[in-house]
Amino acid sequence: MAEMWISMGPQHPMTHGLWTLKVKVDGETVVDTEPDLGYIHRGVEKICESRDFTQITTYCDRLCYASANTWSHSYIYAVEDLLEVEVPERAEYIRLIAVELQRIASHLMWLGAYAPDIGNLTIMVWGLREREMMMDLLQELGGSRMHYNFPRVGGVKRDLPHGFAQRARAKVSLFLNRIQEYEALYDESTIFLIRTQGVGYSKPEEMVNHGVSGPNLRAGGVNYDVRQAHPYSVYHELDWEPPVERPSIKGADCYDRYRVRIEEMRTSANLILEALDRIPGGADTYHEPGDPMILGKSPSRAPEGTSGFHHFEDSRGESMFYIAGGGEGRGKQPYRVSIRSPIFITIPYAAKCMIGHKVADIPAIMGSFDPCIGETDR
Amino acid sequence: MGKVVSSSAQRESAQELINDIDSIKGVEAEVVERTNGTKTRNIVRIICKPENWRKLAKRLKKKHKIDYCSMITGIHWPEAGPEKNWELVYHFLRTGINDPPVIQGMVEPIISDPTKVQGNKIPLEIEVKIYLSETREPTIDSVQDIWIGADWNEKETWDLVGIGFAGHIGMRRVLQPHETPLGFHPLQKQHKLRYHDFEEMYDDAQGFQRKPQDTGKIK
Repeated sequence: MAEMWISMGPQHPMTHGLWTLKVKVDGETVVDTEPDLGYIHRGVEKICESRDFTQITTYCDRLCYASANTWSHSYIYAVEDLLEVEVPERAEYIRLIAVELQRIASHLMWLGAYAPDIGNLTIMVWGLREREMMMDLLQELGGSRMHYNFPRVGGVKRDLPHGFAQRARAKVSLFLNRIQEYEALYDESTIFLIRTQGVGYSKPEEMVNHGVSGPNLRAGGVNYDVRQAHPYSVYHELDWEPPVERPSIKGADCYDRYRVRIEEMRTSANLILEALDRIPGGADTYHEPGDPMILGKSPSRAPEGTSGFHHFEDSRGESMFYIAGGGEGRGKQPYRVSIRSPIFITIPYAAKCMIGHKVADIPAIMGSFDPCIGETDR
Repeated sequence: MGKVVSSSAQRESAQELINDIDSIKGVEAEVVERTNGTKTRNIVRIICKPENWRKLAKRLKKKHKIDYCSMITGIHWPEAGPEKNWELVYHFLRTGINDPPVIQGMVEPIISDPTKVQGNKIPLEIEVKIYLSETREPTIDSVQDIWIGADWNEKETWDLVGIGFAGHIGMRRVLQPHETPLGFHPLQKQHKLRYHDFEEMYDDAQGFQRKPQDTGKIK
């Protein structure tokens, strides 16, 4: 049969956003792929060049709708590197709690969105039910449901509200029990196992060379995690291990990538519980906004010639900001902001993983890499 | 307590790397200590001449096992003088990852302990800066074949900043539309944001009435 190119997207359930995957098929088999991005490119990097350092946080929230908090924190750490700000330890603990809550919410969104891709509609509602609990907790911190604008240069916007620790402990413990329900729904579903096992193999060394990181990499049987290799915040003070999956001999398949995310939600939940116990000053005390316990002093200008960057473990891989100082207003604005999106680098690799599989496997493979197009196109 | 690579071991490893690559002509390297946050980071900062870049890249990959290309940033400095008109910043990580071994038909995951890693396995952050002199078509050698992760980073840098990569296979627009005119790269500094020149465009608080002097201008 003659080979031909077909376009999947920009409107296709597989894409989880707006982009096109051009697939060259020979009958039902994929022989070549080419991703085409940029449908929602809105020039965040250019906009940032005419904004103050504090104003940019809001834009970073909107980079990924499923994982807003991790992106604004990723930016804040880079700014603090640029301005050389010292952050109070209590603020770092609050940030850790906020980021890990967001990581769980993001993975639940993925869990809910992945299942309908491969024919299991029930779990969509189940996943979003628990995501609601996490979003309630994040709403208490940030005041909004999706885009929190929570971190500040030098600390956080607000302290943990009254009774937050008690509610967070209750909800996270409940969530830890409910993970078993997802595992039962997924691992005992024959359809799910047939669609994911033995599909989309990936090997760790190959992934690292392609720039793939995060849960997708840990599914391959290595424990590389930016939170452990280059510790920031207070991750090195807590007792935890990055979750690792045992892959098949040919490499990690879609099922391994699902397993590692489930384990990662457990790790995050335990991190939150531990952080609530160990937070300096106790989780029940409350400081007014702007208190030196939760907000350090920071300069507002970065002179020309300075630069800052920070590797950050996003829920989808290693994200990073590079900021060069010395823009408008004698350094009040950055001269250049550059964003590293993990999925922008992962999509070409995921497209390579599909070669040799059937067209029907494309949604299963692409969905297992957890694409988010908001951050990809920036 | 979590497991952390000791700062002194990381510093030693960084120093070892610097001693080796300092022998390449046109390469300056130093260890930079960043003290923000809760833990000191030791970063290797390398400043390299464009003609030595490929030689340095190969040395980093082969000898020092710098296996992960994180990001490539292009910066346009129109007012920084003829020597430093364009800047390229590469960020790398050393992950020290190998494929897990197969033992009796089962893959055995590698659980490395950061407190015990040695030699070429110690995690490092590397920043390479390359300055290009004033030219209308800045070009640098591509490292697409050394780190495949650099592939789409280079495409993006050319697309948005306009720095070309010699030897890059399959260069195309990735974020902007395919029909964008040749030579248009929005992150170059001659392109201003459209409302750059008039900050207060409207007279009234709701923003319905335009100022007389702004009539006819686009927002």
